[in-house]
Amino acid sequence: MSATTPLQLFGALVDSPAWAALRVVLHLGFFLTALLVLKGVLQLAYGVGAAARRKTRRPRLPALSGSLVLLALLFAAVLAHQASWQLTGLFRPQFVAFMQSHDRREFNPAHRIQRGRILDHQGEVLAFSQEQQGQVFRVYPYGPAFAHAVGYSHPRFGTTGAEAAANARLNGGAPEQIASWGELGRQLVTRDKRPRGQDLVLTLDARLQGIALRGLGERHGAAVLLRPRDGAVLALVSSPAFDPNQVGPALFQTPPADTPLLNRATQGFYPPGSVFKVVLAALALESGFTGTIDCPPGGFTTSRHYPPIRDHGFYSAREAGRGWSGHGRLDLEKAFTESSNVFFAQLGVRLGHDALFSIGERLLFDRQIRLYPGTNRSGSISTGRIPRLKHSDLYGLAQASIGQGRILATPAHMALIAAAVANGGVAMRPRLIADEPPEPLGQLMSTSTARSLTRMMRRVVTDGTGRAIDTPGLPIAGKTGTAENPRGPAHSWFIGFAPAEAPELAVAVLVEHGGYGSRSAAPIARDLLVAGVHQGAGP
Amino acid sequence: MSAPPLTLDLGASWGRRRGERNLLLACLGCVTIGFLLVLGSGHAAGRPLASADLLPLLVYGTSLIGLHFALVVLGHRGDQVLVAVVAFLAGLGLLAQTRMGTLDRADALIPGHLLLPLGLLVMLATTGAFMDGRHRLLSRGFWAWGTLSLALLALLLTTGQRFRGAVFGFGLITPSELLKVTVVLFVAGFVDRYARALGLWHPRFPLPPWAPLWQLTAFWIVLTALLLIQRDLGMVAILSVPLLALLVMGSGRIGYLVYGLLGALGLGFLVLGVFEHGGRRVAAWLDPFQDPTGDGWQILQGLSGMYAGGLWGEGFGRGSPGYTPIAESDFIYSVIGEELGFLGCLVVLLFYLILFQRGLQVAAHSRCAFGRLLAAGLTAVLATQTFLNVAGVTKLIPLTGVTLPLISQGGASLLATFAGLGLLLAVSDGAPASPARQRKGSPGGKAPSAFPLPAPKRRRAPRRPAAKGRN
Repeated sequence: MSATTPLQLFGALVDSPAWAALRVVLHLGFFLTALLVLKGVLQLAYGVGAAARRKTRRPRLPALSGSLVLLALLFAAVLAHQASWQLTGLFRPQFVAFMQSHDRREFNPAHRIQRGRILDHQGEVLAFSQEQQGQVFRVYPYGPAFAHAVGYSHPRFGTTGAEAAANARLNGGAPEQIASWGELGRQLVTRDKRPRGQDLVLTLDARLQGIALRGLGERHGAAVLLRPRDGAVLALVSSPAFDPNQVGPALFQTPPADTPLLNRATQGFYPPGSVFKVVLAALALESGFTGTIDCPPGGFTTSRHYPPIRDHGFYSAREAGRGWSGHGRLDLEKAFTESSNVFFAQLGVRLGHDALFSIGERLLFDRQIRLYPGTNRSGSISTGRIPRLKHSDLYGLAQASIGQGRILATPAHMALIAAAVANGGVAMRPRLIADEPPEPLGQLMSTSTARSLTRMMRRVVTDGTGRAIDTPGLPIAGKTGTAENPRGPAHSWFIGFAPAEAPELAVAVLVEHGGYGSRSAAPIARDLLVAGVHQGAGP
Repeated sequence: MSAPPLTLDLGASWGRRRGERNLLLACLGCVTIGFLLVLGSGHAAGRPLASADLLPLLVYGTSLIGLHFALVVLGHRGDQVLVAVVAFLAGLGLLAQTRMGTLDRADALIPGHLLLPLGLLVMLATTGAFMDGRHRLLSRGFWAWGTLSLALLALLLTTGQRFRGAVFGFGLITPSELLKVTVVLFVAGFVDRYARALGLWHPRFPLPPWAPLWQLTAFWIVLTALLLIQRDLGMVAILSVPLLALLVMGSGRIGYLVYGLLGALGLGFLVLGVFEHGGRRVAAWLDPFQDPTGDGWQILQGLSGMYAGGLWGEGFGRGSPGYTPIAESDFIYSVIGEELGFLGCLVVLLFYLILFQRGLQVAAHSRCAFGRLLAAGLTAVLATQTFLNVAGVTKLIPLTGVTLPLISQGGASLLATFAGLGLLLAVSDGAPASPARQRKGSPGGKAPSAFPLPAPKRRRAPRRPAAKGRN
């Protein structure tokens, strides 16, 4: 039948391209007529005639109008709360994350959010969003280099690292900024399906990060470079890492044996070995130790049932087939420079369990230190562990005093301790987000202790175990570490800062199974310090 | 039937209700536009157009015309604004249900598209039966209403079936919805009868008079217990708010409110402590992200829909409310938020607010104490229900599983709402001018009443064709 009913006509109209416009007209028309009804209702109820009527029919019941006011307030509260989801839902990171992973409405703007970019402090792009065929992808140009510090943002696997910490800002803006409210208003009124988030600037430096990564090469390990003055983290490297561009189920279901998801810099626990002597030296200085201790060639033990703790000199002499006469009587500075295990084991036993535990408290062991604002454990630095030992366990205490036994440390924590020494004893909270104001974490040691430690650490590099990295142009202060561990060759450590007299940067480098600290970790630390100091202060 | 002189009034009545007529026409226009949107969007999404699809609109138009003529013929002198607001909200409800595809024409009990006319019929019948002051007849046997309420609940408990945590009667209808009318009738009658006694508190201590109150308290405990067994906490709230309001209103004693709040607090803790169900709802309210794909799923999907709707909405019929579980009933507000946006929600809430204002106005203008209590009680039921639903969906308060009056799917709820509105319209019609039958609500005396009755006014013999036929 060719005779068209109005309904068929309407169907044809809907199928024609005019429907898109007509739909908008009808939508507006619906609102307008609804408002017309509303106006008519108000006029009939409270208009001219109604007012006259009210006057003649007087009743004014305060309690009834009171309950009406209450009702209006309740409804206003509903609308306000509703607006906080419906209109400013962007400011609720969990909500946006829920919609991105669980909402199948294709027109939901949450799916099209162009997250802001993540930049290093010099404007290098570390992460940006790209739209392909109506879907928004996150791209990380440096691949695995910033996998742990920047994290990833994935519709299915959520967000981590800086992506998680600054989720709200990256998605649209923090509500405290006027500009972001303006942008939000624009998006709402124009029904812009592509909200654009704000960029996030980190304190990281892509070049220094690259130097640390190249230094580590294929080896597993971590490096942390920070500015003692304000806690800005310039490099945060954990190797091996995953590629945040290719986050997938395989990464989580069958994690590779080399644990690329573990952030070794902030969450990796390692025996600190000799770098822990910085802690013990701080304790000795704080408790006023000034004497000397005899370091016999046979080493030191607390009981004949336990093997003696010996100096490195003993082992290298034995390898070379030479005799070892021991260090003899050493004072703290000389023992620190030579990294004498025999000295520090005896020193620790003399100072006692409680003293060791208390310096652990002061140096922030057994804590979580927040790295990003408003995140949970994964956004924090785990600090090292000093477990309480039985008072009778003197051998355990001797082992602990040289950073072995049950003592553990994380690279970021050791960097923080080095930075505190460099900063006159005051530790600044490590931070990655550039516009977060610097904040002191606490006075870890007295200024005079920090000064003495600086002198001692400088001597380590000029004529101690760190001689190999002494650089003509830059006075580096530091401490090497070689940590015995049951899994293979010793871990290689170096912590330090430069320039010694006016420190600009502090560093901690750990190379898993890297052997002597002076051989593996120290050169990486030197390269970082040289590059960083010569580059200038940065942000 | 004490019929008023009908013959001379038809013309006057027609003129008097002109305002209502215009508003109903505007409502019809608005709903027609909305209907075209829904129909067009459905067709654009691939549903074929059939002439049967026009049925709901036809039914709506016919219903409005019938409603108007019936009110004219009845010579109803009451609130016309109320009628228009109800027509608008019911039209919106019809649109929403058409859009959700829940108007089941093959429903065995009541075909979906006949629900609205049936509801309006119920409303008209109630209005016709109890207008012209006849609502006072209802106050006589208030214990009958109370007994009926409890009997309904008991019957439901013994014969009902559990579904989605609540108890339903035969064919998933919920006879307990009727309580929204019967309980109010009972409480209004009771408070009216004992208004004076209820106002006489202990002279020194803030203690209410036990003598009349114990019956009400006992009734309430049984009612609440029966409702809690059915896990219908929402209904407890919907019925308790009017109870307190009427007690305060009838006795002029604000102290009832204080005791009521204490009782609500105690009940709240009891429910949280005893019912695992309630605790889970509160947990899902406090932090839906704790279990986003389980307990928090419905509320978060509803909110996601609203977020997707934004300020203007996606357009009627263009959203995807299907992703929210049971969107057509408890979460219809989030569908409106998704398709009509924040502004649509604002308009809907404004209409509701006007509805409640008119309800309270009816109470304020009623010349008898019972009518005042009844109108206020019915309004309080509707207002509480609306608030519980809307605030629950927007996550301001925990979900209570309460429907949105006039808009949500649910035949029993709709019919009960219309019956209540019919009573409201009947009360708004006012009482005939026979001073002999007028009683003083809360008699002057010692008890200070917050709601003094209007001085009994003698009405002029022929009813006023008020204000230029506007009303």
